[in-house]
Amino acid sequence: MTDIPAVDVRAEMLSGAKSLTVAAAPTKSRGVTSDLSIDEALLLHAAGWEPVDLVCGVSVVSVPMGVWNWGQGEITSAAAGHNAAVREASAELRNECVKVQGHGVVGVRVDVEVHPHHIDVELTGTAVRPVNQGAHPAVPASPFISDLSARDFTLLAGAGWMPVGLAFGASFVYAPRRSAGDTMRQKTQNIELTNFTEAMYAARESAMERMQQSALDVHGQGVVEVKVTEGPMHFARHAVGFTAWGTAVRLVADAHQFVQPQVILPLDDKIVAFEAQSLRGA
Amino acid sequence: MSDASADLPEAAVRRLDSAAFSSGLTVPDFAACLELGLQPLALVQGFCVMSWRWYGAGSAYMRGMNPYAPGGQVQGAYAETYRCPHGFVSAEHRMWGQNLEQTWVESAWAQGYGTSYNRMLEEAASLGAHGVIGVADRVAELADTGTVEFHFLGTAVKVMDGPPPLGGVPWTTYLAGQRLTKSIEAGFMPVAVVAAMASVRVWAYCMTEYLMEGSRGWGGPTSPQQVEQVSKAHMASRQLARKHVREQLAGDTLHGARIDVVKRELAQGDEVIDCTLRGNRMRRFKDFDVVPPPRPTVRLG
Repeated sequence: MTDIPAVDVRAEMLSGAKSLTVAAAPTKSRGVTSDLSIDEALLLHAAGWEPVDLVCGVSVVSVPMGVWNWGQGEITSAAAGHNAAVREASAELRNECVKVQGHGVVGVRVDVEVHPHHIDVELTGTAVRPVNQGAHPAVPASPFISDLSARDFTLLAGAGWMPVGLAFGASFVYAPRRSAGDTMRQKTQNIELTNFTEAMYAARESAMERMQQSALDVHGQGVVEVKVTEGPMHFARHAVGFTAWGTAVRLVADAHQFVQPQVILPLDDKIVAFEAQSLRGA
Repeated sequence: MSDASADLPEAAVRRLDSAAFSSGLTVPDFAACLELGLQPLALVQGFCVMSWRWYGAGSAYMRGMNPYAPGGQVQGAYAETYRCPHGFVSAEHRMWGQNLEQTWVESAWAQGYGTSYNRMLEEAASLGAHGVIGVADRVAELADTGTVEFHFLGTAVKVMDGPPPLGGVPWTTYLAGQRLTKSIEAGFMPVAVVAAMASVRVWAYCMTEYLMEGSRGWGGPTSPQQVEQVSKAHMASRQLARKHVREQLAGDTLHGARIDVVKRELAQGDEVIDCTLRGNRMRRFKDFDVVPPPRPTVRLG
């Protein structure tokens, strides 16, 4: 293990304070903006990347009237609206990234709001680019989008993989209904409600299938950090929504690079295994 | 008492003159602060309660009831007009719509924010502080009175054996403790906390109204469709907030930015989108020291 030289932080602080005693030289530089913490910025630099600009993508997509009314099966219009909103917001985010010469966006915060008549999707993240532009001179036409933190992005890149885009899938379904006869008959039985099981199962699978398909659409080989949400709509309790999203990734190295983590055993264990009081006996 | 503290409340002057120091730092942050050579002086704060004047119908600022009406619009501000594609006239049919940057709301917000910030700086300057660390700001409605209170709080510090900043104006940062130490180590010196609010009003035209209430009515589509006017207003509010903050950076870097968006629906399709962006303006004072590539670890226990 290499020893990192100790830094005299007091001397550094004094240098910093002295730098503010003179006016900054006029510059035409745009200046970097990012929502990364200083830890994340340092980590990105260590991996050869740097933040460029804070970027956003927003899309509001309408949901036709009446789709939340009682029915059976999947609510296809709502799912289509949801997926369209994510797609449009991602396109806006990519456009902003290209404008600021970014190669991709990391740490994307995904905010989705489903309203009775519209679905709002907001994506916010930091556009990044390689520090050594000589190695990657051209800005890609379609920068990657990733909701991975800078830490996870660094780890992923170190293993030879790169994010290629957000993979997203949604599905909405009406809660199934039972006939009056079935309800009465099943009241005295321990029985699986197969129509409920099938409907929920199918809806979850649809959301995940769409997510995987969206990963394939951006030439991803897999999806990492998949998040799944589900629950009834607050304005229509008989409709249940499922979403699944994550970051589509692709192997860019010749083969997966094993990171070979170092095992550490912390000594500040909170569990006290030995109690001195126990030596006294009963 | 210095001139800077001339309009501070009496209690503030007595507190700041006290022999004891106060700080809002946690114990680890306090220790890190001393390690950096920063001497905590006192908790400093600034307040400003603002009353928003009437900007609605009939005010000098309202865009008006048609797209040609004069208003309080500032030259160069964001505005985008949408026109009905259906080609008929009706009192109930919204023939035009507009996205409009509410510059007067933005300037009122900036006035409240800037005033309370400057009052915090006045307190710090009266102590001879060089900087204010661990700044926390809050913008909230004051006790249901229809007014908005801006509040800044931070710990004034002095750089031991260090020079005062240019013009005696203390530098400020939301950071403290370990994060501040890492920033300094990395070669970034805090200059100031910066923030801006962008406000965009959406006056829906017929298509936006139909789409936002479920695609019904005259010629409204019956399948999911992007609501262009509202989507653009959202994007504009974020872009304007970034533009306003960038104007305060003067080529410096913004770290740890945070975007907060508040949407208020006023009628079907009509809404106000307020986007606030804040962060730390940092200046690089030395070449960047790249940290060694991190080594992954697995923690046992």
